[in-house]
Amino acid sequence: MGLRPFVIRRCIEIAVIFFVIMTVLFVLFRLAPGDPVERMVDPSMTPEDAQLLMESMGLDRPVWTQYLYYLKNMATGNMGISFHYGEPVIHILMDRLPNTILLFTSAIILSALLGVFLGKIAAWRRGERTDMLMTVGALFCHTLFLPWLALIMIWFFAYHVGWFPITGMVTPAVWIDPDAGMISKALDVLHHMALPLMTLVLTHFGSYLLIMRSSMLDTLKEDYIITARAKGLTEKTIRDRHAAPNAALPVVTSVGLSLAFSINGGALTETVFTWPGIGRELVFSVSHSDYPLAQAAFLLIAIVVLTANLLVDVLYAYLDPRIRY
Amino acid sequence: MSDTASPAPIQDQPPDLPAGKHRFHWVERFADGWAVYRKNIIGRIGLALLALFALMAVASFIPQLVDPMYHPMTGVDPYISHSTGPSLRHWLGTDYIGRDIFSQLLAGARIAFMVGISSALISILFGTTIGMVAGYAGRHTDLVLMRLADMIMVMPTLLVVLILSALFGQLNIWVIVLMIALFRWPGVARVIRSQTLSLRHRPFIEAARVAGASHLRILFRHILPNVMPLALLYMSFRVTSAIIIEAALAFLGFGDPGTVSWGMMLQWVWKTGHMFQASYWLLPPGICISLITMAFYMTGRAMDDVLDPRLRKEET
Repeated sequence: MGLRPFVIRRCIEIAVIFFVIMTVLFVLFRLAPGDPVERMVDPSMTPEDAQLLMESMGLDRPVWTQYLYYLKNMATGNMGISFHYGEPVIHILMDRLPNTILLFTSAIILSALLGVFLGKIAAWRRGERTDMLMTVGALFCHTLFLPWLALIMIWFFAYHVGWFPITGMVTPAVWIDPDAGMISKALDVLHHMALPLMTLVLTHFGSYLLIMRSSMLDTLKEDYIITARAKGLTEKTIRDRHAAPNAALPVVTSVGLSLAFSINGGALTETVFTWPGIGRELVFSVSHSDYPLAQAAFLLIAIVVLTANLLVDVLYAYLDPRIRY
Repeated sequence: MSDTASPAPIQDQPPDLPAGKHRFHWVERFADGWAVYRKNIIGRIGLALLALFALMAVASFIPQLVDPMYHPMTGVDPYISHSTGPSLRHWLGTDYIGRDIFSQLLAGARIAFMVGISSALISILFGTTIGMVAGYAGRHTDLVLMRLADMIMVMPTLLVVLILSALFGQLNIWVIVLMIALFRWPGVARVIRSQTLSLRHRPFIEAARVAGASHLRILFRHILPNVMPLALLYMSFRVTSAIIIEAALAFLGFGDPGTVSWGMMLQWVWKTGHMFQASYWLLPPGICISLITMAFYMTGRAMDDVLDPRLRKEET
């Protein structure tokens, strides 16, 4: 199978999964105690507005018709109006989506790179002090409780030392200033992103390091490594060009498998650092019983996880042709 | 040991053997495993930490017997109504309404064990059964079950439980335990399934089939004992994730309000705005959650060494 049929097959599978998730969510919203209409239409709306909204969602129709309306509305992005913000949910979430993607992807890529890099060195120096220190350090970081680490980060780096801002994503003063160029704005965001990013990378690179280390140890026993040695290549070339690229494949798989775990962490990080992303919006909407927002945020997170999964699969299939069976 | 050592002995015996003989075999296996486990420094540290936490959980019943003001949930010091630092009266200080942090910490250990172990047991039960059935039945059953597993595996458990608590209101601690278990079985099922696949065509299974054993009997008498060690290994990892998810849920404010867990304690520090002033209150619960997950993780890795002889050689 070529790369393209494989990608198409994975796309179809993921679309089916998403469809099932959507349906289960619909059923849950109807099964839960209380009035489903009240759950989608803000009780404080004027009767005319409420009527209009109900009609656009088909809430006055039988359940089956409601389901068809629901699917249609999801496809067109009409996901109701947030109770709290009083705005269409889709606007709020589309505003937050880039922030989540920025934090999430940079965290995953950075931690995978760091894990591969350190794991490579740990395996190369197996049994030595460096290896021992790295393995123990990775194990330690991997088991740190993420929200607590986030609080400690704020407590130390933002409050005591004062290097980084405590919350948020931007400094309003910088963004209002008409003279501020792109660079100073970007630096401002980076400055705010440093702590949440550090928290996510610290809690994630450990497992990648451990996987890279054990995979590298297996690779180093392969015949082609002995051949490379026999050819008289330098140690560095053997390590970086012959062993590491092959050993890194399992890390890619594990990135894919741990995506769900990472998005949990992402939501927690966003909440503690008040990073304006989808995860924080979900936590916020759940604690404020803002059902339309909660439903849409959850679906959007599902889309993010599934898309990321797809990307990882494609990357893996590209790197390792054997997988495209 | 799961497939390489000798799966044959139990199965080759006639089924009506006295129970003692089986037990003897298990004890022997356990003793062998323990001998390997003991050599592993990571495993020893993990076990020592777990013993410490178990001690804390047992001791959690003591403070409220000494004085009702030490009750982790309802006990309030009559002279203190705000957060104070460590003192002789309150070893780790008090929280924002004058409750003793040390006794809350002890109570948290109890909740962590309760949540972790019961949730892990349930998800292992589901995972093992589903994995065995999928691997043994094959064909359509296998396909459907594994697709279901894939689907659940991509869902972020914490956020799923979050949305459920939005719909169904405040969740009871046992509902939370069940929810976590229901979303954490797929990983176990996959491993057990592949183990079952490799066992399915072994001579002793074929022999049992020819002898007229029913499918249920083959599954639970012949396959289960062989996948059991692997299931137990996964249990220690499931305990870890269950504890973390419960703690995170409580941290976000969706825990069971009737329990004092470490996540709940962190939520109180955070929400009442004490995190900058009260490090005596911020540090202990987080250290405990991190250490207990580390302890279970370490025992899991050490057990991995016991079960996989290939890894054992690599370590030396």
